[in-house]
Amino acid sequence: MSHQHRHNQPSLLETKDLSKRNLQSWLLSAPSLIWLTAFFSIPYLIILIYSLLTPDIYEVKFLFSLNAYRDIFSGLYFKPFYLSMRLAMITTMLCLLLGYPVAYLIARSSEKWKNILLILIIIPFWTNFIIRIFSWRIFLSTHGVMNEVLMALNLISSPIEIIRTDLAVIIVMVYVYLPYMILPLYSVIEKLDFTLLDAATDLGASNRQAFFKVTLPLSREGIFAGSILVFIPALGAYLIPQLVGNQNALYIGQIITYRIKNIPRNWPVASALSLVMLIIIAMILLTGYYIYQKRRIRKLHENR
Amino acid sequence: MKTGKIYQKLNLTIFTLVMVFLYIPIIILIIFSFNNSKIVAGWKGFTFKYYLLLFQNAQIKTAFQHTLIIAVTSTLASTVLGVLCALGLENKRFSGRKMMSALIYIPLIMPDILMGVSLALLFNFLRVQTGMVTVFIAHVTFCLSYTVIVIQSRLAGFDYSLVEAAMDLGAKPWLIFWKVKFPLMLPGIIAGALLAFTLSIDDFVITFFTSGRGFDTLPIYVEGAIRRGTITTINALSTLMIGFTLFLVVVTKRIRKLLLT
Amino acid sequence: MEDIRIENISKSFDGFLAVNEVTLSIQQGELFSFLGPSGCGKTTLLRMIAGFETPLTGRILLGNQDITQLPPYKRQVNTIFQNYSLFPHMTVYENVAFALRIKKLPSSEIDSRVREMLQLVKMEDQAAKYPNTISGGQKQRVAIARALINKPKVLLLDEPLAALDLKLRQHMLIELMNIHDAVGITFIYVTHDQSEAMSISDRIAVMNHGNIIQSGPPDDIYERPASIFSAYFIGETNLIPAEVTAIEDDYVDLKCFAGADESFEIDSTFHFRPEVGQKLTVSLRPEKIAISRTKPRILDDINFVRGVIEDILYLGTHTQYIVKVGNLKFRVFSQHKRVYFDDKALDWEEPVWLFWHDSDTWLIDEVTPAGLDVGEVNVFERPIQMSRGIKRIIRSE
Repeated sequence: MSHQHRHNQPSLLETKDLSKRNLQSWLLSAPSLIWLTAFFSIPYLIILIYSLLTPDIYEVKFLFSLNAYRDIFSGLYFKPFYLSMRLAMITTMLCLLLGYPVAYLIARSSEKWKNILLILIIIPFWTNFIIRIFSWRIFLSTHGVMNEVLMALNLISSPIEIIRTDLAVIIVMVYVYLPYMILPLYSVIEKLDFTLLDAATDLGASNRQAFFKVTLPLSREGIFAGSILVFIPALGAYLIPQLVGNQNALYIGQIITYRIKNIPRNWPVASALSLVMLIIIAMILLTGYYIYQKRRIRKLHENR
Repeated sequence: MKTGKIYQKLNLTIFTLVMVFLYIPIIILIIFSFNNSKIVAGWKGFTFKYYLLLFQNAQIKTAFQHTLIIAVTSTLASTVLGVLCALGLENKRFSGRKMMSALIYIPLIMPDILMGVSLALLFNFLRVQTGMVTVFIAHVTFCLSYTVIVIQSRLAGFDYSLVEAAMDLGAKPWLIFWKVKFPLMLPGIIAGALLAFTLSIDDFVITFFTSGRGFDTLPIYVEGAIRRGTITTINALSTLMIGFTLFLVVVTKRIRKLLLT
Repeated sequence: MEDIRIENISKSFDGFLAVNEVTLSIQQGELFSFLGPSGCGKTTLLRMIAGFETPLTGRILLGNQDITQLPPYKRQVNTIFQNYSLFPHMTVYENVAFALRIKKLPSSEIDSRVREMLQLVKMEDQAAKYPNTISGGQKQRVAIARALINKPKVLLLDEPLAALDLKLRQHMLIELMNIHDAVGITFIYVTHDQSEAMSISDRIAVMNHGNIIQSGPPDDIYERPASIFSAYFIGETNLIPAEVTAIEDDYVDLKCFAGADESFEIDSTFHFRPEVGQKLTVSLRPEKIAISRTKPRILDDINFVRGVIEDILYLGTHTQYIVKVGNLKFRVFSQHKRVYFDDKALDWEEPVWLFWHDSDTWLIDEVTPAGLDVGEVNVFERPIQMSRGIKRIIRSE
C-alpha cells in the first residue's frame, strides 16, 4: 500500500471508498454549513429584501419601494462613501509604511527575540478594542495627557485640537489595524530565503537595490494579504470615527448605524447602503483575484 | 548579511517608534486609573477609589457576567462545529470543498458592520426578540470561521504515518480517531477555542446590533459609558481588562508549551 | 598577477572559533579547493572572501587591493551558492542579466552578453523559464552563468554539487573543469567530498577545526599526508601504531603493534629523521598492498605480513579485503587483473600473505590516537592550538 494513497485521503473513519468518504465529509460539514447559511448567507438576502421596502419610524413597512435606491443614486450618500474609501486607503498605506519595517525587523531577528517581539505586538492587539480607542481619547483630548505634557514642556502655548478631527480618526485607525498588517507581512517575510539577498549583493547590488529588487517583490503576497485585511474592515469603520472623529463629516459606517439604530429609522436605506458596500468589497476582491490569476497564467505560459 | 548601517538605524527607529506608539496610550490609561480625579487631567493623587467603585457597580457586574456567559457558550459551540467542519474539509476530494471553504473564508474579511446589520434585520424579520440568544447566535457565527481555520492549519501538518502505524497494529478506525488523531489535534483545538474566546469578549459592533435594549456585555457598557461621559470607573475597568489580556496571553503560551512536550 | 592572499584570518561566532589564524596564498587561474568535514571552517573562510562575514583578525588581498572591509557588492568576486539561490521571481534570462541591470548597462549590450553566457552553459532555449520549473543541474548552470557574466576575478563555489545525484555530479564536475579552462579565472571550491576535490583541483587545502592541516596538489596530499587527519580524511588508509627500532641510511626499522602481545617488523623509507624509540604512525594505502595465499619470493625492499581474511567485498573493478593481523584490520584493495598471482579466488578465513614495497610505507610523525574506529572523523577532537593573541580577542567578545 503506497504512502501517496493514504496521504491524499486522510479521513475520520479511514475508509478508502470515495463516495463513502465524500458522504462523511458532507455529514461533518453539515452543521457548519447549515449554521452559516442560516446566519451568514440568508441574512444578506434579508438585507436585499429590506432594501426594497418602505421605512417606518421604528421598523419597516412591508411595502415595496425603490426609494432607498433612488436616494442613493441621487448622490446623497456619495460623500460618506468617498470619505470611507479615502480613510481606508490612507489607513492601509500608513499601516504598510509603518508595518513593513516592523515585520522585517522581527523576521530577521534571532529565535529568542522573534518570540518576544511577536508577543509585544500581539498584546495591544488582544487588548479590548474599545479600550484601545478610549485610551487614545484620553491621550489626545484637549485636556488630555499629550497636551498637558507638551504645555508643561513649554513646547506649545495652548492645546492642540486633535480630538474630533480626521487626523484623530486616522491615528486611531492605524493604531488599531497595524497588527493586521504586521502579522501577515511577518509570516511571508519570515519564510523568505535570505541567501537570495546574499546572492544579490554578491552580484553587485547595494543593500538598497537588493531590497527593492529581491525582498520587496518576494513579499508581495504578504503586502497584498495585509492590505486586504486592513482596507476592507476599515471601509466599514464605525466606532472609531464615532468616538474620536469630527461629527460633521460622517463615514458610511456611521450613516448605516444611525439609520438602523437612531430614531427616525430608515432600514431600507441602511440595507441598500450595506449592499453597495458589499458590492464595492466584492469588486475589490474580484480585481485582486483576477490580477493574481492573470499572473499565474502568464507564468505557466512562459514555462511551456 | 550586513545591512547598510543607515538602513539598520532607520529600521530600528521606526520599530521603536511603532512600539512606543502601540504602548503609550495603554500605559497612560493604566496610570490614570489610579488618579484621584474625575477628569483625566492633572495628577491628583494615587487612589484605589475607582477600583472599589467598580466592584460596587451592579451594571458592570451584570455586563461582565453576560460577557462571560456568551464567551464560554459561543466558544464551545463554535469550537465543536469548527472541529467537525475542519475534519470534513480535510478530504481533498470532497465535492463541497470549494463552497464550504468560501463560506468559511468570506466572513473573515467582511466588515463587522455588515454582519451586524444583516443579523439585526434577520432577527427582526423572524420576529425574534434581541437578547442573550441572538447575541449567542451572532458570536458563534463570526467565531466559526476562525476556529475552522486554526484547526485546519494544525491538521495540515498532521503526520499520517502515525495513523498508518496504528492501522498496521490492528486498531479500528474509530479507535484511531480517539487515541491518535484527536489528542494530536488538541493543541489546535485549544488554540482555536482561545481565539474564539478572545474575539467574543472583545466584540462590540456585532453585539451592538444584536443585543437590543436589555442585554449588555462589557464592551457595550463601556461604549455607553464613554458616550454618556461617565468615565470615572472606565479607566479602572480598562486596566483590569488589560491585565486580563496579559493573563490570557501568558496562559496561552503556557498551554502551548505544555501541549508541545 | 591577481593572486589572493589570506593573511592571518580568524573568525569566531559567540566565542566559538571557526577559523584560526589562517594564512594562505592562491594563485591566479588556479582551481583551489577547501576540503574538510562539516564545521571545519571552510565555508566561513569562503564567506569572508566573498564579503558576507568580517574577519576578526587579519586581512584579505586580491592582487594589490585590500578587500577585507569591502562589502560584497564592491568586490570583484562572485559566488555560486549551495542551493543556487536563483531569484524565484525572475526568469532564467533575468537572473543572468541581474548583475548587468544593476550596473545600468544598455539593453542591447545586456542582451548580447546574457545570450553569450547562456550559450556557454548550454541554457539558451530555457531563457524564459522560471527557476522552479528547471532541474537541479540546470539551476546549477544558470547560477554559473549569473556569476560569470560579471567577469569576476575569482569565482567561489560553495559545495555546488551537493544537491545533485551521483551521475549528474560526475557530469557537472567535468563541466566545471571545462568552464574553468574556458574562462581562465581563479576558482575557489569548497567541499566535504574528497573525491570531488581530488579530481578537479590544482591544489587542495585540507581543513579541520578552523585550521589548514595541509595544502598542496592532490597527489601530494594523497601520497604524502602530513598528519593522521589528512591520511584518514582523504581516501582510505591503514593506520598502524609503530615504534622505531633502528635507523639506517635510507630506511628505518619499525616494530608495528598488532595487539597486546603481537607485533611484526617492517622497513620503511623516510622523509623526516625520527629517533630510535620514537612512537609514530604508519600509513599504508590499501591499493599498495598485494594479497596472496602463497608466500612471495623474498625480495629486498618488500615488507610482508601474515593474516587471515575476515571480509570480502566484491566491487566490480576491484575487491576489498579485510584481513586480520593480530588486532589490526588491514584493508586491501585488489584489482582484478589476470596478471596477479592466484588462480583460485581467495576465500573467507583463508590465511594469506600481505606484502608491499617499503617505499609505500608512509611515516606520520604523530602518535596513533586510541580507539581509532574507521568512519568516525570525530576521533580528531584534539583541542585547537590557539595563539595567545587570539585567545585574548575571543575572551573579550
